[in-house]
Amino acid sequence: MKRACFVISILLLASICTGCAVFGRGKNFVPFDENALKQVTTGKTSASEVTQLFGPPNKIVKLSNGNAYVYERSVDKGTGVWLVVLTFANFDTRYDRIVFFINNDDVVTHFGSSFNSETASYAMPF
Amino acid sequence: MRCLSNSIIGVAAALLLAQVLSGCVSLRIEKMQEGVDVAPPAIEFIQKKTLLEEVLAGYGAPTDLVDMNGDFALHYRRALYRGLRVSMGIPLKSVLLPNPSMEAKGNLLRYDTAVFIFTADGVLKDMKYEKGTSRSLWEDYWR
Repeated sequence: MKRACFVISILLLASICTGCAVFGRGKNFVPFDENALKQVTTGKTSASEVTQLFGPPNKIVKLSNGNAYVYERSVDKGTGVWLVVLTFANFDTRYDRIVFFINNDDVVTHFGSSFNSETASYAMPF
Repeated sequence: MRCLSNSIIGVAAALLLAQVLSGCVSLRIEKMQEGVDVAPPAIEFIQKKTLLEEVLAGYGAPTDLVDMNGDFALHYRRALYRGLRVSMGIPLKSVLLPNPSMEAKGNLLRYDTAVFIFTADGVLKDMKYEKGTSRSLWEDYWR
């Protein structure tokens, strides 16, 4: 009797513990190097030098006194856990971005950057 | 010995019940985050005085950059999505025609946002900030 109960318990425990976990990582990759920003000087660096250093921008925004070149890439990490009746899902997306403001003379007047893609994390949704 | 046997039967019964319920009850909790925290504007940011480079130095590159017919805006945004789904059903479809089930789900997408509007010369004209994720999830959902 005792052995039968034990075996049944083990089998039930094994079946109840069926579930799975999924970890996913995605990248929207654009090969720009953040260290190249050291070579950019506002008031001096030209638009063509920017594209030489960083490649073609992801987006160009027309402004009244020039253009803005936008570079963007992202990393997303997903975590999923299925435990029979419970499902947990978490998605975290972070971006690296650089924006160059270029005046009508094709010279960089300002630029800003944020590098957060490496902070994307696997986590539970609480 | 009898006590041990009873507790084993109890555990087995509980596990069996959970196993039976596994096709009937489910709970799904979701969270999705896009971007990083958007901090409130520094008190040093003053309209008609603060320059574009000061905002870029503090906030970095914006999420969006929008031309506004002469002026332009930098838009910093973090999105936070939360979803919850509870479903209950009795899977009798293969045995009987009635297949009663009930499902309740809700989701809420909220934003932390900072918007800085600049003149064409790069001088701060206006700014707005809202931390949507700090408000009550429950109240925002039912509002």
